[in-house]
Amino acid sequence: MSRAMETSRTVTRRPDFTARALVPLGLFFGLALVFPFLPLGTRAEYLLQIAFFTLVAAILALSWDILARSGQVSLAHAAFYGLGAYGFALLGKVMPWFAAMPLAALIAGLVSLILGAVTLRLSGMYFAIATLAFTEVVRTIIQNLPESVAGGANGLLVPALLGGNARAQYFLAFGVLLFTALVSLAIRRSRLHHAFAAIRQGEETARVLGVSVVRYKLAAFFISSFLAALGGVLFAGKTFFINPLETFSLANSIAPLTTSIFGGLYTTLGPMLGATVLRVAEELLHNSVKNGYLVVYGLVLMLTILWLPRGLMGLLRRGKHGGEL
Amino acid sequence: MELFFQTLLNGLLQSGLYALVASGLALAVGVVGIVNFAHGEFLMIGAFLAWGASAYLGVDPLLSLPLVAVAVFAVGALTYRVSIRHVLLAPELNQMLLTFGLGILLQNLALMLLGGNTRTVTTPYQGSSLSLGDLSVGGPKMIAFGLAVVILAGLYAVLYRTNLGRQMRAVAQNRRGSQLIGIDVDRVYLIAFGVSCGLAAVAGVLVATLLFASPTVGLVFALKAFAIIVMAGLGNLTGVLWASVVLGVSEALVQTYVPGGGGWSDAVFFLLIFATLVFRSFRGAR
Repeated sequence: MSRAMETSRTVTRRPDFTARALVPLGLFFGLALVFPFLPLGTRAEYLLQIAFFTLVAAILALSWDILARSGQVSLAHAAFYGLGAYGFALLGKVMPWFAAMPLAALIAGLVSLILGAVTLRLSGMYFAIATLAFTEVVRTIIQNLPESVAGGANGLLVPALLGGNARAQYFLAFGVLLFTALVSLAIRRSRLHHAFAAIRQGEETARVLGVSVVRYKLAAFFISSFLAALGGVLFAGKTFFINPLETFSLANSIAPLTTSIFGGLYTTLGPMLGATVLRVAEELLHNSVKNGYLVVYGLVLMLTILWLPRGLMGLLRRGKHGGEL
Repeated sequence: MELFFQTLLNGLLQSGLYALVASGLALAVGVVGIVNFAHGEFLMIGAFLAWGASAYLGVDPLLSLPLVAVAVFAVGALTYRVSIRHVLLAPELNQMLLTFGLGILLQNLALMLLGGNTRTVTTPYQGSSLSLGDLSVGGPKMIAFGLAVVILAGLYAVLYRTNLGRQMRAVAQNRRGSQLIGIDVDRVYLIAFGVSCGLAAVAGVLVATLLFASPTVGLVFALKAFAIIVMAGLGNLTGVLWASVVLGVSEALVQTYVPGGGGWSDAVFFLLIFATLVFRSFRGAR
């Protein structure tokens, strides 16, 4: 089990970016791209909506994973996702969506630097608790601001993304996920990958080796939160309405974490696969069970930790090492 | 001035409940070395059991309390056997995520089976109040505080006066050393984890009489318990008591003196966590 979270002991190994390793990723995006054009009959609209939220879940999971690669297991993902949603709700009223979207993400990214700086020297459960606390603080602040500013506890109406065109929204989410995956791959290829792995496996050692821990940890925070906020924008622009209790709920921090671990930590494809499987399972269960479908997340998390520590990706390449994507 | 003392009193009474939840958590952290993110869910189970006993069997929560405690002790011990035991030597991250998963599982199972509504328990002493000079205190609050004090006193007596308690403290200090001198570490872990859950359940029964039972009722108490054990220093059992008082009283002060304090008082414990953690991290401790 101790190898569970440290799948990439071979940090010095050059990541082999063979075409073969990219095939599953290409397949995933290919399928996602043609999905809206499949003849799905009467339920097409509903299925497209599920697919949209699957893409958002994948964005959140993958962005969480990027932060986790630097050894920072955060429970504050809901905060940045929520800041993106709120940022877009407020900015979207005064500027076009293509300006509001990156700006909201940028704000979330900058706020994450504050949290990152404060928690730099915390590790393990202290880090987890501090990030959990941070989410609650953000929620409390937004809830207690005057209603004219952020809608208070009642929530806020959000300008619809792309005029509410479901297919256009889907392709926007597709684009954001593609961007997230490219960022993830770029990190995998760059110095960042080695720096993150070194920090994760032993911060002191990394420091001795000359890795500028502070800079890399903050970079991980910024990238991760920026991407998570884009996910928040997509969500808010799709649902027209957000409120603090749901937006900043613990579930929104848990889902990306569970999804990544289930799919396979520190990989690009893993979180995306995990999101697909879990979202579909959730949707199936959602139809039969009204309340408490998050049960799946709890169960999956427990079972993965106990029996499948390398997640779905571990299953896919059982016995093989390297070539991780 | 009267308002001030009333506020202090309210805070103090509240801290009894907090100390009960937090000392259970501190036991799991200190002895077993597991940060139990599902602690609040054991509290929730206790609250629902008390509600069930009262609604269906007509048993007063205070009477069902010992039974609930024993039942949840068993649930906790079982949980230890089937899950926690297997990750004792795993990285801290795995342990954390496991209990996290357990918490989500239990919470949503309750949501699935019982729905999201809050259930209140009616007791004959519900509306009663006691007056101490100019100050007045609600009956249930007073009872809850009294019980918390008695149970905590019992816990400390066990920890410091009995053989089992000494074993627990020995294991907390050094697992391998305890094994070497013949302590059955696994058994001690089992009991400590069970007791930890039992304490949460007792707190849950009290929460059911003071507030209500609902699937999510445990979360906020668990979070506050985290704040308390972080303030006290992980696994420090005596520190838990004063940290609970600090939290209870500062919450009460915010409620009374900050305009619109109801909403902000819930942020107090997060500020306390944040302040403690940051202070600690800059002082060099981890």
